[in-house]
Amino acid sequence: MTTVHDGEPGAVATTASRPRGPHPLLTFLAKRVAVTAGLLLGVTVVTFGLVNVVPGDPVTANLSDQALNDPAAVAAFREKWGLDQPLWAQYLHYLGNLLHGDLGHSQQTGRAVLDDLLHYVPATLELALPSMVLALLIGTGVGMLAAVRNGRFTDQLVRVGALLGLSTPPFWLSLVVLYVFFYQLGLAPSGGRLSTDFSPPPTVTGMYTVDGALAGQWDVAWDAAQHLSLPVLVLTSLTVAMLVRFVRSAMLEVLQQDYIRAAYAKGLPTRVVLRRHLLRAGLVPVVTVSGLAFASLLSGTVLVESIFGWPGVGQYAYRSATALDLPAILGVSLFVALVYTLVNLTVDLLYGLIDPRIRLS
Amino acid sequence: MSVSPRRLLAGASALATLAVLSVSACSAGGSGGNANGTAKTLTVNTSFVLKTLDPGRVYEATGLTAVHALYDTLLTFKGSDVSKPVPALAESYQASPDATTFTFKLRQGVTFADGTPLTADDVVFSLNRLKNIKGSPAVTVSGLTVTKTDDSTVVVVSATPDPNIPVVLSMPSTAVLNSKIAKEHGARDGADAAQGDTAQQYLDTNSVGSGPYVLKSYDPSSQVVLEANPKYWGTKPQFSRVVLRNMDVQTQKLTMQRAEAAEISLDISGKLLDGLPGSLQTSGVQDTVYFLFLNADPGVSAVTSNPKFNQALRAAIDYQGIAALYGKGAAPGAGLVAPAFPGALPAGEESKRDVAKAKALLTEAGLTNPTVKFTYPAITYKGVDLGTVATKVQGDAAEAGIKLELNPQPLTTFLDEMRGGKSPLGFTPQSLNYPVADSLINNMAPGQATALRSGWTVERADPAVVAAGKKVTATLDLAGRATAMQEWQRLMNASSPYLVLASNSSIVVATTDLTGADYTAAGWQVDVAAIGRK
Repeated sequence: MTTVHDGEPGAVATTASRPRGPHPLLTFLAKRVAVTAGLLLGVTVVTFGLVNVVPGDPVTANLSDQALNDPAAVAAFREKWGLDQPLWAQYLHYLGNLLHGDLGHSQQTGRAVLDDLLHYVPATLELALPSMVLALLIGTGVGMLAAVRNGRFTDQLVRVGALLGLSTPPFWLSLVVLYVFFYQLGLAPSGGRLSTDFSPPPTVTGMYTVDGALAGQWDVAWDAAQHLSLPVLVLTSLTVAMLVRFVRSAMLEVLQQDYIRAAYAKGLPTRVVLRRHLLRAGLVPVVTVSGLAFASLLSGTVLVESIFGWPGVGQYAYRSATALDLPAILGVSLFVALVYTLVNLTVDLLYGLIDPRIRLS
Repeated sequence: MSVSPRRLLAGASALATLAVLSVSACSAGGSGGNANGTAKTLTVNTSFVLKTLDPGRVYEATGLTAVHALYDTLLTFKGSDVSKPVPALAESYQASPDATTFTFKLRQGVTFADGTPLTADDVVFSLNRLKNIKGSPAVTVSGLTVTKTDDSTVVVVSATPDPNIPVVLSMPSTAVLNSKIAKEHGARDGADAAQGDTAQQYLDTNSVGSGPYVLKSYDPSSQVVLEANPKYWGTKPQFSRVVLRNMDVQTQKLTMQRAEAAEISLDISGKLLDGLPGSLQTSGVQDTVYFLFLNADPGVSAVTSNPKFNQALRAAIDYQGIAALYGKGAAPGAGLVAPAFPGALPAGEESKRDVAKAKALLTEAGLTNPTVKFTYPAITYKGVDLGTVATKVQGDAAEAGIKLELNPQPLTTFLDEMRGGKSPLGFTPQSLNYPVADSLINNMAPGQATALRSGWTVERADPAVVAAGKKVTATLDLAGRATAMQEWQRLMNASSPYLVLASNSSIVVATTDLTGADYTAAGWQVDVAAIGRK
C-alpha cells in the first residue's frame, strides 16, 4: 500500500490507514475556528482598552469648537454614541451587537461599519491581488536566480536591489513614481480609482476593473486599470524586495542539500532540478512570508493609498484612528485580525500541498 | 555548481517587462480625463475634510463646499465679497432697529430638484432641525426662533440683539431642505430631534435641496460627484458635472502642473505655491491666523501667567521671519481677526520684534532663563508645517533668554489637552466658521469658553478688555461694530493670553481656461456653480 499522510490534501485515506473519528482536516478546521473566535475576542478587548486609555476624547475629535462650547451639543453627542455609559457597559453593548453581526456605526461616516468595510475592502483587494501575483512571480523568479547565481554579479545585483527596495519608504517611492510616470512622462493618471469623466460601473465585486468588464463597460475597465498601474507598481516593488531575500535564502539552503547535488550528479538538466526539487522544497518558507505580505497588503497600505487617493481600508483606518472613531477602529482591527487568521490558515493548508511530509497537525 | 538558468532569467525579465508595460501601456490619462479642453466636468482636487453632506451637521471644509452647491439658503455671499449678504431664497429682508427680529420675503417660483415648490414651511423645518439635532453647527442658531407668517414670509427672532443674523443665515448649514422627503427619511425638527433624527445616512447620499447641483454620488474617502440640477431657478451653472476628488496635497501640485483644462485645487498654499506654472490662476485671501496661547492660571504655570513674561515673549518673536516661513500670501501677526474679515486691524499695526525689550521685561518679571513646555499639533495646515514654525518661535525666544521645550502632539491629543486647559503654552491655527469676526468675542474674551481653556477668567483680565468686548456686542451698527472690534484687539494685544504670530492665505489654484474660481472666506471656499469657462 502506498503510504499517505493523514489529512494530506488529495490523499485517499482508507479505513485501514486512519483511525475512526472525525476527519483530521475537520478537526483541524474546528480548532482553528475556535482559536480565531478567541483571537477576535481578544482583539476587541485590547483595541477597546487601548482606544480608551490613549489621550484624546472622541467628542473633541468630532465636534466643532463652537459645538464644544455648547454643553447641550456635547451631551447629545455623548448620548448618541453611548459615551455617557460606563466603559464596561459600552463594551458589553458592543459585544452584544457583534454577536448579531452588527459592528456598530462609524462616528465619522454615520454608516454601518460593516457597510463601510464592504465598500472599502474591494478597493484594497483590487490593489492587493495584482500586486501580490506580480510580486510572487517576479520575487520567486529573481530570488531563485540569485540563489543559483550565488556570489556572482547577478546575485550581488539582486541583493543590492532588494536592500534598496526594503530601505525605500513607500511614500517616497510613490511620489517618485508619480513624478516620473505621471508628471514627466504623462503615461499614467495621478490618483483615484477612475478619471472624473467616468462613473463607477454597477457594483458586483466592488472592483472597478472586474465590474467594468462584467458590465461590458470596457472603457471604464480600461480606465480603472490605468489608475491601478502606479499604486500596483509601488506595492509590487516593495513586496518583491521583501520576497526576493526570503526566496534567495530559502533556495540557497535547499541547494546545499545532498539530494540536489545527487540530482545534478545524475546529470539531470538544470531546469528539471530547479522545477522538481529546488522550487518545491524552497517554497514552504516563501509561502509563509508571502502570506504575511498579502495580509499586510490587504490590511491596508495607508501611505500609498493616501498619496494615490485610493479609497481603501488603509485610508479608512487612518481616518478612523485620527478621529478616535471607536466603532470603526474596532471594525478595522477585527478585519485585520480576520485577514491574518485566514491567510495563516491558507498557508498551513498550502504547506501540505507543497510538501506532503508536513502534516496538518 | 555551474548552472546557466537562461529560462529563469528570461522568465524574470519577461515579468519585469510586463510590470513596466502595465504602466507604459497606459495612455496619458491626465488627472481627470478632461484634458481635451471640451469636457463638461469640472474637477476640484482637495484633501478631503469630509464627514457628512447633511446640512444640519456639516461643518468641515469639503462638506461645506458641496452643500453650498447642493442647497440654497435664505441669503448668500457673491464671489469673494463676505462683507454683505445678498438675496438667495429670500428676495429681501427687513431687520428691526434693535436687531432682534428679521423678516424674510421668499422668492416665488422656486422648486426643489424634484419639482416640489419650496415654501416657508420648508424653511421653518430646516432651521428648527438644524437647531434641535444639536450637531456641530447648531450653536450658530441656538438662540433663534423661526416662524412663518404666510407661505412666503419667514420671521427669525434672536434672543439677543445680533446684527449678524443675516450672515448666519447665509451659511450652508442653514440650507433649506425639502421637508417632505427629509421627513420620509427620518429627519425631525422637534425638541427631541437630537435623539430622533435619523436622516444623516440618507442625506449623505441624496440631496433634497433647490441648489444648482444635485448629488450624484458620495464617498467620503474618494470623491463626491455633483450633477447640474435641471430645475434650478437661478443662473444655470456652466459645468454639468463637478467632481470633488480627494487628493494628497503633493499630488495636487503635480496634477495642477500638468492640468490643461477645467481643474482647480484647494490646498496648494504657502511654500507649495513656489514652482507652479505662471499659466495657472491663483485666488486667495488671508483668512487664517496662527497664534500662541499662554496659560493665565498661576496654578498651571507661574511663568506664563506672569504678565511681564507674556509681554516679554511678545517682544521676543520675529514676526517678519515667521511670516516668511509661510510663503506667499502671509503677513506678520496683528490682531486675532484675519485680514479677510471686517474688523481686522489695518496695515501698519503688525507686531514687531524688540529683543532688548524682551530681556528687560524678563528682568522686571524676576525670571532668569525661564523654561516653558510648548505644545502644538504635529500637523501641516494649509501648506505650513506647524513644527517648523514652532522651532522658529523656540529659536526667537531663546535669543531673549526664554527656553521653550517643544512638545508636538497628535491632533486629537493636542485638542484634548488644549480643552483640558493644562497646557502652559500652546500654538494653533484658527479660521472662522462663518465670516463674522465678532464671534471671537463669544469665544475668546475673558471668561468665555476658549479663554477659560487658557485660564483667563474675568477676574484675571484687564477690566478695559472686558469693557471693550461688551462694547462690540452692544454695537448694532456693523461699521461701528468693526471699529469696536479693532479697539478690542488692540487691548487684547496689550494683555490677553493670545499672541498672534501670522496670518495666512487660503488659495484656489485654477487652470487658465476658468472664470470665477475665486476663493471666498464665506466657509465654502469656492462657489463651484459660479465657475465658468472663458
